[in-house]
Amino acid sequence: MSDVFDKCRNWKDYRIAKATGLYPYFRAIEASHGATEVEIEGKRVIMVGSNNYLGLSADPRVKEAAIKATEKFGTTSSGSRLLNGTLALHEELEARLAKFLNRESAIVISTGFQTNLALASILGRHDIVFSDRQNHASLVDGIRLSFATERKFRHNDMDHLEQLLSQADPDAGKIIVTDGVFSMEGDICNLPRIVELAKHYNARVMTDDAHAMGVLGTLGRGTSEYFDLEKETDLVMGTFSKSFASLGGVLAGPFEVINYIRHKARSVIFSASMTPGSIAAALKALEIIEAEPERRARLLDIAEKMHNGFRAMGFDTGVSVTPVVPVHIGDQVKCFRFWRALHEAGVFANPVIPPAVEPGHALIRTSYMATHTDAQLDRVLDTFETIGRKLGVIPETRPSVYEPVQIARPGTRILSNRASEKWAAGSNGLLADKGGITLDQLSRMSSREVAGRLFDAVEQLTWRAANLQPEDLRKLGNAPMKLWEKRGELPGLLLEKGAHFFMRNGAHSDRN
Amino acid sequence: MALHAEPTHAASSMPSDVQVTPVRGEAERMQFIRLPYALYKSDPHWVPPLEMERRDFLDPKKNPFFEYGELELFLARRGPDVVGRIAAIRNPRHMEIHGTKEGFFGLFECVNDAGVARTLLESAATWLRLRGMDAMLGPANLSSNQDWGLLIDGFDTPPAVMMPHNPPYYAALLEACGLTKAKDLYAYELSSSAQPPEKVVRIAEKIRVRDGVVVRPVNMKDLDAEVKRIRDIYNSAWEKNWGFVPFTDAEFDHLAKELKTVVRPELALMAEVQGEPVAFSLTVPDANQAIRAANGRLTTFGLPIGLVKLALASRRINRLRLIILGIKEGYRRRGLDAILYLDTLRTAKRLGYVGGEISWTLEDNHLVNRAIESMGAQRSKTYRVYTRAL
Repeated sequence: MSDVFDKCRNWKDYRIAKATGLYPYFRAIEASHGATEVEIEGKRVIMVGSNNYLGLSADPRVKEAAIKATEKFGTTSSGSRLLNGTLALHEELEARLAKFLNRESAIVISTGFQTNLALASILGRHDIVFSDRQNHASLVDGIRLSFATERKFRHNDMDHLEQLLSQADPDAGKIIVTDGVFSMEGDICNLPRIVELAKHYNARVMTDDAHAMGVLGTLGRGTSEYFDLEKETDLVMGTFSKSFASLGGVLAGPFEVINYIRHKARSVIFSASMTPGSIAAALKALEIIEAEPERRARLLDIAEKMHNGFRAMGFDTGVSVTPVVPVHIGDQVKCFRFWRALHEAGVFANPVIPPAVEPGHALIRTSYMATHTDAQLDRVLDTFETIGRKLGVIPETRPSVYEPVQIARPGTRILSNRASEKWAAGSNGLLADKGGITLDQLSRMSSREVAGRLFDAVEQLTWRAANLQPEDLRKLGNAPMKLWEKRGELPGLLLEKGAHFFMRNGAHSDRN
Repeated sequence: MALHAEPTHAASSMPSDVQVTPVRGEAERMQFIRLPYALYKSDPHWVPPLEMERRDFLDPKKNPFFEYGELELFLARRGPDVVGRIAAIRNPRHMEIHGTKEGFFGLFECVNDAGVARTLLESAATWLRLRGMDAMLGPANLSSNQDWGLLIDGFDTPPAVMMPHNPPYYAALLEACGLTKAKDLYAYELSSSAQPPEKVVRIAEKIRVRDGVVVRPVNMKDLDAEVKRIRDIYNSAWEKNWGFVPFTDAEFDHLAKELKTVVRPELALMAEVQGEPVAFSLTVPDANQAIRAANGRLTTFGLPIGLVKLALASRRINRLRLIILGIKEGYRRRGLDAILYLDTLRTAKRLGYVGGEISWTLEDNHLVNRAIESMGAQRSKTYRVYTRAL
């Protein structure tokens, strides 16, 4: 007989991580020194693992607003927005956010996660949701809670998205849902292309701007402002736990849609509303975001300093062009060791391991606050360099050249760091898939196709033969000799080729 | 496919039944390469390129353009039918040298349907725009050092070797998509029996003696050194030309290797003044006359029929194309070009060629155009490079 609790008792990963001292989660912060430094186990560490992008959680004005609101309205709203939980503060924040985000209407919801769950209320049985494979879990769950069909496209792969759109029922309701800034890799969604595709295929667009609001765009309104596509982006979601120094989320868009969500979304009507303190903090933070653009500028300066600082040492910060600065480590165990060494040296950062990232691409995710001082940042860089060398992540000496990162500042339209960009590399249609076929594919071909392939092969051979140069002939003549010299390596070589063959077969079936 | 119907006008929006997708994988790449063979079926002047040559051309490992350039190929489909194709090309060297953010489109082929053309061009435009470019030029296959321009006049003869060809309706298609003229390129026709004006001959001979100009054929036995000399002349001669980007070493070597098989050394002339190579002209047999015999394939059902046809036809080539005539800075306006033209003309006559094409020249390169016209050549074809802001 099986017990529901069996899996919990049999779960080994936790015990192993704990026993080896490599368990990096749920670390209790005992005190905060202006948010940029915190105390853990009595040790003071520099915080580069928080999403407090503008550093407002420690701002006295924000704190005071929260305190005042608590004094005025109490510690909680004690109920749902629908019934007794709506305060004048909620409505004020909604009106201010609608104006800030340039939308008809906005709704604030108790947490960012619940805000994305509210999406389920507008997704009907016959609708199709196109969602980026690396979207945040809350979006994944929001879609899962609906009855709509989900079509996932490869991360930021606009060709794949287009393919899925073109194959979808033209009469179905469609919406493309994507993170604005991707939380782990720090790249930006290809909104210009998404909007184009949406127009072409008659789909709606929603961006989750959790990591973009307060960070991207001249006024800090997020991805759609950054790309100047606010009119074209139907729904925009944001969270207050990052730049807004609070807790909660916002969804903004056309009045009818927001009003419908307000009355239908279960994560809104069956949940207690944001606490007075949270609303007041978000309101004050919004005020500061609007009044102090220099914070954003400083944040992006820091991002550039850190990206290029890491790169100059030989680290790879991936595709990121934002203040989310992932430092690639590779191996999962090494990543944990790296994290622990960082902690011991006084730096708080987060390890990110599979399945959150591809296997073999474990990384240390760092993110920055506008209030970090240069001295703190330099210490972080030094610490990374020392540990990186010790663990062999970077070479002993700095590389002579590195590819600098261009940060997504207002006025630019960068999606991701081109140097590390895998998905949009040029000529990719030509480089990918060199045209070999698998046995499986061959067996499914008609005799006509097989003959066509065969004749093409003859054609190719004839062409090569007709183009043979004298030096090619010499090489050909030397081939048997070379083969004989390398006879010792042959078994290994064959094995390698065999492995590649099977891997390619696997890749093919994966794609189908 | 309605090839010769009137283009459907006023297609300001994209037709929803046309789908443009980037080329992925071998099968689609072959569809891309094979589209023109269907499209030009009824065009008596089209020269089908060898399929394999086109494959190598688009192979990043074989075409040195890819060492710096990037491109994306797009196919347009209506239902199952491939109805168009285009390449969006990013050429960082061009941008660097001209200080612009111009991208290119090329390898453009399309049925006579303004909607399809628009969808294709928009796809290329978007691709370029997303890569930070603010204008596009084209068609370029793939850069100004390969063939470029759209044929807008002179559809009555086949194209010369390494020159583009297209149906007459393409110009209307591109113009309907908001593309405007950037520059025209000219091709001239010169018959071997043409008699250059006596005055030109007299002056040329005078200069030859006065300046000690020695014209010699390229030394095929020492090709590497010669290629280097030629490259110096070429890059210096074209430096200030509109749209010009110097060849990379790899590109030039590649071109030299390709030309080596067709070149006749007697027609690759180097002019030296006091031992220094200062001018170069390259005239090659018009291999298109042979290539069209193969109809795109060297083999049919595995038999080397095309190869045999090609070999037989290559013996009957009776036309030439003067591809390059370049003079180093400081030696221009001294009549060196006239000497090279005259010597080429004489050799062509001697070798039994009936005539050929001189191409291409920029419409506003008056010095060169006047010199060519003074030889008695007639303008035979006009190609246009289009541009559009993104």
